[in-house]
This record gives sequence, C-alpha cells and structure tokens, in this order.
Amino acid sequence: MASGSEGAVTTGADVAGTIGPAGVTHPGERTVLHVDIDAFFAAIEQVRDPRLEGKPVIVGAGVIASCSYEARRFGLRAGMALSEARRLCPQAVILEGHAQVYRCFAERIFDLCRETAPAVECHLDEAYCDLTGTGRLHGDALATAGALKRRIRAATGLAVTCGVGPNRMLAKLIGKTVKPDGLARIAAADADAFLRDRPIEQLAGVGSAHGRTLRSMNLNTIGDLRALPVDVLEALFGANGRLLHERCRGRDTAAVTEREVPLSIARETSFHRHTADRAEIEGMLEYLTGRACRAARELEIKPGTIAVRLRYADGEMAEQSRSLGAPSDADPVVLELALTLLGRLFTRRVALHAIGVTLSHFASRLAEQGSLFDEREAGRRAALFQAFDGVRRAFGHGVLVSGRALHLKGRLDEDRHGFVLRTPSLTK
Amino acid sequence: MRLERIDRAAAVRADFQGGVVTPVAFRLDGREQRVTRVNARWIDRAGRHPSFYFSVTVESGDVYQLQVQGADLVWRVDTVALEG
Repeated sequence: MASGSEGAVTTGADVAGTIGPAGVTHPGERTVLHVDIDAFFAAIEQVRDPRLEGKPVIVGAGVIASCSYEARRFGLRAGMALSEARRLCPQAVILEGHAQVYRCFAERIFDLCRETAPAVECHLDEAYCDLTGTGRLHGDALATAGALKRRIRAATGLAVTCGVGPNRMLAKLIGKTVKPDGLARIAAADADAFLRDRPIEQLAGVGSAHGRTLRSMNLNTIGDLRALPVDVLEALFGANGRLLHERCRGRDTAAVTEREVPLSIARETSFHRHTADRAEIEGMLEYLTGRACRAARELEIKPGTIAVRLRYADGEMAEQSRSLGAPSDADPVVLELALTLLGRLFTRRVALHAIGVTLSHFASRLAEQGSLFDEREAGRRAALFQAFDGVRRAFGHGVLVSGRALHLKGRLDEDRHGFVLRTPSLTK
Repeated sequence: MRLERIDRAAAVRADFQGGVVTPVAFRLDGREQRVTRVNARWIDRAGRHPSFYFSVTVESGDVYQLQVQGADLVWRVDTVALEG
C-alpha cells in the first residue's frame, strides 16, 4: 500500500488507471469507480447544522438508520434499536430524519458523477461509475476520482469514499478499506492477494446467513472459499453459488447499468401515535400502496407479489405476502390484495406502531403478455394512472389523494411531496 | 436539538452575486435576523418548479431553514433548530 492524495491509500504502485502486472496497460480492461457517501443521513444533518459537528448524531426512529462516525466510536451501528443506542451513548443527538432533503443531496452527488462517467448506477447512498475508456478524456482514474471527491465536497459539504477497480465488487471492497473520506485503487493483478485473507462476510453476496453456513464448514476467509468446486457452491447456495465461485477469485462481470431494477419496493412508516383506528390504518395502507405503485410505474415494472407488514405497539411483528393473479402496477388491484392481507394480519386487540407494504417479483411492463378480453379496460386504467402520475410529477404527490387515504387529511401535515410521515422508509 | 416548524412567508434580503443566491438577512416577527453563515444549500426538483433550500445560522446561533420557490420567488422560513 502506498499513500495517495488527500490522505488516501492506494493499493498497487500503479497510477495510470487500468494497469496490469508490470505496468502493462490493457486498453480493454474495465475501470469502475465506486462512490460511497460516508454516514449519509447523519453527515447531512451535521452539514445542515454546524452545532452537530464532532458530536455523535443518530438519524432514525425506533432503530438507527444512520449514525455519524463519532457515534460509531460508542459501538453504535445502523439497525440497532434506539433504546440500546441511548444506553451506549446517552449524549447522542437523535433526529428523526428528513428523507426528501437526503434525496436532494444524493441527486446532486449523482449529477456530479454523471458529469464524470458515461454510465452511472445510483443507489441510495452509493454509485457505481463506469470509467472504462475515459482515460484519454480524464486521464488517470485515481486522479479523476480525487477530483470528483473534491467537487462533491465543494458542492455539498459531504465526504465520500471512492474505490477504483477492474470491476464493481473490487471497487467497492477497496473503498471499504479506506472509509471514511478515502480514495483507493486496486489493479486486477492485485486482486488475488487483496481478497485471499479477507473475512468471508466481506465477499459480495455473502450475508450473515451464508456467512454462518460457510464458517460452520471452517471456511473463514475469501481464499478458503476457492477450495470449493462450483457444483458444491451451487448445491449450497443455488444460482448465487456460481457468482460466489467467480467473486472469490476477484471476478465480477456485472455491468454498471443506468437504471437499477430493484428486487423490491417498500414503503413503510410508523404512526404518529399508536392506533387501532381501522380508517386510519387502511388510509395509511392505501397511501403507501399508491406511492409504491407510482414508483413501480416510473421504473416500468409491475409487481407480482405484495407483502404487508405490521408492527404492534408491544413490538410484535406480523407479515404476510401473496401473489397477484397477474403482475399489475394499478393501485386498486394492488390495494385490494393489500387490504385482504391486512384483514388477515390485524387480528390482535393491540394498537399498531407501524405499517408497510412491499412490492416484489417484478415483471417488465414492456414484456407484458396482453390480455385478450379486458385489454381496453386495462388500457384505460393505465392511461388514467399515467395522467395521475403526470399531475403528481408537476404539482406533488399530495395534490391527488384517493379513497381511504382521505382519512389522513387533517390528521397529518402535508408538504409538496404528500403527507409528512413520521418515519418514512429512509433506507428504502 | 429541538426543531420548531415556522412555515411562514418572510421578507429576505439576498445577494445574487455570481449567479448564486445567498440569503443575507430576513425579517421574522418584526425582527431582522442577520445570516452569519450559509451552512448548506440544496435544490428540490420534485414538481414543475424547483425549490431552493438554505440552512443558515443567524447571529443568535440558531439555525433556520429558508426556502425560495422557483415558481413565484416567494421566500419562506420553514423551521428553526434550537439548542436543548
């Protein structure tokens, strides 16, 4: 490892972007830049209010959605219950979060990424930028990443960590080694040594469940995994097994795609006060379902499966999912099933703390099988929702409120984005 | 930290030098609040017209959120974050 600019660390001695062993440039080799916004929500709160600088800051309600690096020194981490966080760090400043503000900051950062790279894949707080073939335009990839970091800092006040590598997985992984505010590069030739002794959980696709399985087999490092043949990995993990077989060798052919098709779209919130009022609960479910369906329509995908999740005031959870007869992005179709699920789930005489709806198993709208008999009706409905979406894009989601969601009027504050939810899905 | 919602239109003195809008002072409840620092600025592009947001610190040390709507250029004071 050698020091780079901005107190950064680079792996490999090369400084010319896509470089292989002995300094040989491979023009066809990919260069992927991974940009990760450090402590995203908490960092934005610290930028917006300088009095929070240097203090442990938590963003979340119920659980930690994001916490500053000062808070992490006390052992706090995302997903931890706030009660536990308060016990570990009583002086922490706890904020409920401002999802729309975070989205605006992320969009600004992603715009800057798009000015640098021809293809950018954006997620909540990270982006993959494909810098392949941009050497003659930008010069060295590491210098390009450093310049992007500085522009992001100047435009938003936020620190990002950048990792440059020959594929997505390595770019992200090398970035993780220099967080926060780091800058690092790994060359393809260094991948083997870099990966070999890393804990197995650091490999993309190995979560806590896979990690437990592999450790129970005494496979503790990424290098250990290479001993398993591909058919054994496939038997253990299905299709994911083949990916793991490639990734543990530093190979990842996944492309940087402009539009990400998510595995699921979830919209959830806790109520401002615990409630057993069916009108309020159904109204919130209709509102959340409408927002989720609109997100699906904007991505031109139709969900095949709907799940409803409840959290009771005593902490007990209930969740159920069911498939639609045919994938649909129409609010009434999805809502009908969501209400059925709610009826089955909400059986206890205990008030609700939170409710959520999740859409999954998407089918592309473009690959849809047309219906022989009700095509005209479906077409009219699609045109109606297209018109709704157009109005909402222009004037905000809240200008059109339908059916049961009207029960929320007057109970919840509204802004140009719709109802102000207590804990919108900050991380979804 | 305590966040109080204000959500009122306000008269704001702003500097437009270099094509960048920078609030300098605003009047709230008949009192002028001088901006000592613009902490952050961001743009919400949802809807037909963008809204421009500013987080500013005033002389008292309180942090206000201001917004100016692109459609009508009306300034609003959204919130104030108070210590404690």
